[in-house]
Amino acid sequence: MRPAFLIAGKDLRQRLRDRSAIVIGVVAPLVIAAVMSLAFGTTTTFHFTLGVVNADHGPIAAQLERILHEPGLRNIVTTRPVADEASAAADVKARRVQAAVVIPAGFSASLSAAKPESILTFTSVNNTLAGSVTTSIVSSFTAQLNADRLSLATAVSSGAPADRVAALEQAAAKLTVPVQLAQRPAGSRELKPVSYYSPAMGIFFLLFVISFTARSFFVDRGQGMIERMRAAPIQPLEILAGKALSAFVFGVASLGVVAVVTTAVFGAYWGSPVAVAAVCMALVISVVCLTALVIGLARSQRQAEGIASAVVFGLALLGGNFVFVSAEPDLLRRLALLTPNGWALRAFTDLSTRGGGLHTALVPVAAILAFSAVVGMAAAGLSRRAVTA
Amino acid sequence: MRGTLAVARTSLLRVTKDRRALFFLIVLPIAVILIIGATVRGFSTIRVGVVDLGAGSAGRSLTVAMQRAGDLDVRHYATISAATTAVSRGEVATAVVLPAGMDAALRSGQAVDVAIFADRSNTTQQAAAAAVGSVVAKVGARVQAASFASSQAFGTYEADLRTAAALQQTNTQSRVVSRVVDSNSQTLPQGFSYSAPTMLVLFVFLNALASGAVIIETRRLGIYERMAAAPVRRSTIVLGETLAYFTVALGQAALIVLIGAVVFGVSWGNPVAATSLVLLWALVGAGAGVLSGTLFRTPEQASAIGPPVGIALAMLGGCMWPLSIESSVMRQLGHLTPQAWAVDAWTDLLSRGGTLASIAPKLGVLAAFAVGLLALSMTRLRKVVAQR
Repeated sequence: MRPAFLIAGKDLRQRLRDRSAIVIGVVAPLVIAAVMSLAFGTTTTFHFTLGVVNADHGPIAAQLERILHEPGLRNIVTTRPVADEASAAADVKARRVQAAVVIPAGFSASLSAAKPESILTFTSVNNTLAGSVTTSIVSSFTAQLNADRLSLATAVSSGAPADRVAALEQAAAKLTVPVQLAQRPAGSRELKPVSYYSPAMGIFFLLFVISFTARSFFVDRGQGMIERMRAAPIQPLEILAGKALSAFVFGVASLGVVAVVTTAVFGAYWGSPVAVAAVCMALVISVVCLTALVIGLARSQRQAEGIASAVVFGLALLGGNFVFVSAEPDLLRRLALLTPNGWALRAFTDLSTRGGGLHTALVPVAAILAFSAVVGMAAAGLSRRAVTA
Repeated sequence: MRGTLAVARTSLLRVTKDRRALFFLIVLPIAVILIIGATVRGFSTIRVGVVDLGAGSAGRSLTVAMQRAGDLDVRHYATISAATTAVSRGEVATAVVLPAGMDAALRSGQAVDVAIFADRSNTTQQAAAAAVGSVVAKVGARVQAASFASSQAFGTYEADLRTAAALQQTNTQSRVVSRVVDSNSQTLPQGFSYSAPTMLVLFVFLNALASGAVIIETRRLGIYERMAAAPVRRSTIVLGETLAYFTVALGQAALIVLIGAVVFGVSWGNPVAATSLVLLWALVGAGAGVLSGTLFRTPEQASAIGPPVGIALAMLGGCMWPLSIESSVMRQLGHLTPQAWAVDAWTDLLSRGGTLASIAPKLGVLAAFAVGLLALSMTRLRKVVAQR
């Protein structure tokens, strides 16, 4: 086994001297995590300022204003009084407020008239979410008001005689809408962009180990290094084990540094350290197996580089390293689970949001190891030939 | 001139014969456009999970009402645990549980609680809960009306429910009238119209940076020295190399535009303005590519450092998410990159029907970037070619 360690040691020393390996393995994911955390540092929470024009000053308008200040909404809406409709529209247009609501004069009184006034909301194309939340809140409010009117109107429309309308109106006023939303805690931690993209970028650049190692193997072979090693009393398997070991150590170190630095500096939360370590190890094993497969499939350095690029970018695209996988359509989310990096990202997402230890990561780790076993078996025969050829 | 074209032709041949380069030039950008385009359904729709535990027709009508609400994207889950897992993974912003026997309970006049999973501290979940709340309140109002009328012996529950739904559409209700005050969108349209222009900007630049490796390889092979031995002027070599980079960048951009239009149905806006933008961006790319070829020492460095630099600049410049969702400091920082100006110009063309005149200031900035990068890179390349 000693030759394997010696080969691994030599490969690692070479890798450390090669600045591009350090750039890809460590610097690049950290730079990108830094950009992400800068970009989203102030915008992870959704919050907007709502302009409120209260031209009514009646009891119903006061009720709506009270609702806008309820504890549930306080985190997402801050209200700002605005003088009139024109200023509200201008404020939204100038982005001084993100949306506005106008309660017209005589609104409260109109609710007992034949045709009630409407509430107006101003929204902007540049903040459709604030617009739709505003419209939702106001619609919920008017739905309560309208329910009583609707109850009476339905009774009348279904044949209630005119002499009973007054009594029915009184009865309807006491009703409450029978379907209510009851909020339950989701029981999970919010997934911050930096907590998703730190592992995503760490894994993306880890995949480049495949290119590096495959390339270095063919460079060695081109220089007759493999032949010379074989002249010594070394088994082909030991040569392969040495190469695999160096790839494994470099991979674990690169992902480890990214995990530690993004946690300490950028506030990313990867999850329980033991579980994170298990996922990282499993993932690096799969990367080692993929490298062996690429070496086995390729006939030359150029071919190896080509196949490795296709593997690296194919996996990164499918696995969700570029796009938040949860937002993808169903088919793409399923396809992500055909890749080891897709499983790893699922594990990191679950560990970060739902917490838990090793048991949370058990299925993903098993899936990654199963993938590695399949790829490893396919690679075993092929890569042995690459050494003995 | 003939010499310049010959140098450019030789460099181009090297690129087109390299199948790996073609993968990065064509296959990868198209795959990324496809995936991002299929994923980015806008920054305005809210994904909501629904678990129907046997709520009956009341549950179904609530689900239909949510599906019809324009800002909600409804996904179905079989169990509560599947739905809460989806919430925690961010697959949906919130999940609604329609309880068993909901319809029967409502018919018998009982109130029903519809559970919604949302944490008070999580603003995305609260925003989603507000949106769902509005739909529930509207459907609830109909149920209240039907229960009331039928309990007073006017019509059956079903008939009254239909009557209430019809009356809800008439203007005897107090309505919420929503008015959009501006048409000046700061973001690109959704889907492929979002992913195609942003990925054009990202990949043309990134690919140019990474293909700086070709110049380094040429240098390493001593091709410049051999060229210098022939009666070829240094400026001819420099112009030829730059022309090759420009042609590759332009070809890649043109291909993305073509595939975007034909396959993904992207409308690229005013043709003259779009063509000018593509030409200028190819010049920026050519400048960056040649510069990368003169800055790095080994081909490995160029292909190792090029992609992360390209991705980071693209992130800062608004290719990965709109700069309008960032703080103003980050927006200003982003505009130090040429990418931000290019994305701004595409936004103007695709979202606001922009013209050559309306994007002229942005094209001016891009032209300045192109001139700066080309001047710097060509000066450096001249020195590199002169080195023995």
